[in-house]
Amino acid sequence: MSMRITMLMSSQTMLSDINEGYDRLTRLQQELSSGKAISKPSDDPFGTSRAMGLRGELAGLTQFQSNVDDGTGWLNTSDTALSQMSDVLQRARELLVQGGSDTTDQNARNAIADEIDQLTDSVKQEANVQYAGKYVFSGTATSTPPYQLGAAADRYAGDAGTITRAIGPNVQVPINSDIHSLLGDGQASGDNKLLNTLRDIADNLRGGTPADADALRGADLQRLDANLDTLNQIRADVGARTNRLAIASSRLSALQSNSTQLLSNTEDADMASTVTTYTTQQAAYNAALRAGANIVQSSLLDFLN
Amino acid sequence: MTSAFFGLQTSLRGLLAQQQAIDITGHNIANANTAGYSRQEAVLEPTPAYLIPANSVDNGSGAQLGSGVDVASIQRIRDQFLDLQYRAQQMSLGDATARTTSLDQAQGAFDEPSGDGIQAQLSRFWDAWSAVANAPEDAGARAALVTGAQTLTSTFGAVSDQLTTVAQQAQDEYDSITGPNGDIANMASQLAGLNRAIGDAVFRGQQPNDLMDQRDALIDRLSQLGQVSVTDTGDSRDRIDFGGVTLVDPSTPAGYTWPQTLTAPGGKLGALLDLASPTGPALTYRSQLDAVASDLVSSVNALHTATPFFDPAGTTAATIDVVATIATVQTGSTGASGANDVAQAIAGLRGGSTDQMYQALVARVGVETQAAETAQSTAQSLSDAVDQRRQSVAGVSLDEEMMNLMRFQRGYQASARTMTTMDQMLDTLINRTGSVGL
Repeated sequence: MSMRITMLMSSQTMLSDINEGYDRLTRLQQELSSGKAISKPSDDPFGTSRAMGLRGELAGLTQFQSNVDDGTGWLNTSDTALSQMSDVLQRARELLVQGGSDTTDQNARNAIADEIDQLTDSVKQEANVQYAGKYVFSGTATSTPPYQLGAAADRYAGDAGTITRAIGPNVQVPINSDIHSLLGDGQASGDNKLLNTLRDIADNLRGGTPADADALRGADLQRLDANLDTLNQIRADVGARTNRLAIASSRLSALQSNSTQLLSNTEDADMASTVTTYTTQQAAYNAALRAGANIVQSSLLDFLN
Repeated sequence: MTSAFFGLQTSLRGLLAQQQAIDITGHNIANANTAGYSRQEAVLEPTPAYLIPANSVDNGSGAQLGSGVDVASIQRIRDQFLDLQYRAQQMSLGDATARTTSLDQAQGAFDEPSGDGIQAQLSRFWDAWSAVANAPEDAGARAALVTGAQTLTSTFGAVSDQLTTVAQQAQDEYDSITGPNGDIANMASQLAGLNRAIGDAVFRGQQPNDLMDQRDALIDRLSQLGQVSVTDTGDSRDRIDFGGVTLVDPSTPAGYTWPQTLTAPGGKLGALLDLASPTGPALTYRSQLDAVASDLVSSVNALHTATPFFDPAGTTAATIDVVATIATVQTGSTGASGANDVAQAIAGLRGGSTDQMYQALVARVGVETQAAETAQSTAQSLSDAVDQRRQSVAGVSLDEEMMNLMRFQRGYQASARTMTTMDQMLDTLINRTGSVGL
């Protein structure tokens, strides 16, 4: 004998089927309106944790990208200043060669010495260049200018600290350059660095003795050339780090678009399939409603007189 | 030899029995949509036969002449075994429903994935440290860091509070159900009353079907709350054990004993007790959140060595607090204005143990909530399936009742016709016999 079916049974079944259908429709509707396949962790616990990880990663990549941009700005500022310095040194070298020549008389040498003094100040000015209000050549003492202008103050006022920018997890690139190794602490220290050299050159130009003239042609020229080499090394180093940041930037962009894609795959609703499922569910829901209306209405009562 | 009026009596019995059957059908139809109603059926039995003495029939023996029909009893159609199954399912459904509701609330407390949850706040916290590392001289960046950190700690506190509330609500619900005026006290006193009424009716030889339906419906409701076991004491009164103790006992003067301490609650009450306990999900999540907060405090403070950034004493989600100010935020290991190694190192904690612990916690909440939802929908399907079978046995089918109505109506009509025939026969006998020649 088949199962006995009663009024309450069919109405309860119908009700629970309709509820279930409506529940499915509501979920799909939520997916469609929010565009997200995951609205709470229980929708997809694994997907949620994956999405959270990817989100964190993406935020990190965005931050690294902005660190790279900041570091690039800093390095560009340094490079501009160093290139100016290089021009100044070229001019100083020309003047030195001219001043060392025996055809140059003392008056002309004095005039050249004055220009060398000016050039020395220009070098210090370039060393005091700022990026976003910070002195780029002061080490970590970024609020102190590395050199004061004037002959009396050739001592380096910054520190030997390194400033870095994080361009990846546990990857840090130093962005400041050691200008102290180029400019030194002036004549008093006798360190043969640029400021010492320039001050000695000015003194030798003004000195007027044959020994001074010899020094101009010999030791001074050698020291200035050595200083120029140091400058070129620093510039090459800045250039290399700028390149490194540029490469990091394009790598970060690639990673960013990759992570964005992954995140979207994980937590965004697949519109085409969601819409299709929604339409199917809606048809099923409507059919359930229609069938329900018919089932509940009819019984033997309708056919008895 | 039987009396000439014997047939009239037989027809009358037929009329009365059919009428009662129609009344029962009417009762069934009236209760077609009553929850917990079991359909009733008239048990028709032939009345004791009239003994015709020996030698009064052809072959000299005696005979039994049928004397009609009677309604022997009105039976309630119900399968006690299905009741048992249904109640077991109701118990697991009660458990699963309470769990799903509570876990869903706990899950809501985390508000993940979103732009405002702890995950997003942590991400912003690391961003703020990076900004400070890029501009250590900038008081604005440090101010943004301190404010962001305060928002993060207050979010920790808010989530922790909500988890506490979830556990507290479970305890409150348990207390209200088991309280002196709670559901259990109400149901127990109603059950005791019904037991008494049923016992009295049965003692008078009646079949109190509708009272039994009411009692069964109450036991169904009770079984959602906890483990129920029903024992018939032999006089149709039930002894009901609930949650490991005897709740309703007809042999006691009051008929029930409440409040009592449940030893094995089960069902919704068991789930509520578990949800409210320190080892329940909400408070477990809270202590895991405490571990996340503690990890954040220790890992940041370990790098921020000059003065603590977070209050070292606040190592729970509720007590985590920022003690650093704009002036005391440490950016570098030296005092130099541009030193950023400390800020850099703290920003480097992004994606580290704190983030991972928190993600694992949210994933766990998700998995457990999903499992509870699945358990609930399974319990619901099973309970529905048993209920369908119960309805199949005990439910009213209008088609069937209409058939019965027609059947009994025809029976009534036929009995009336028999009576008319008897009457006509008697008319012939009384009024027309012996009138020859008149």
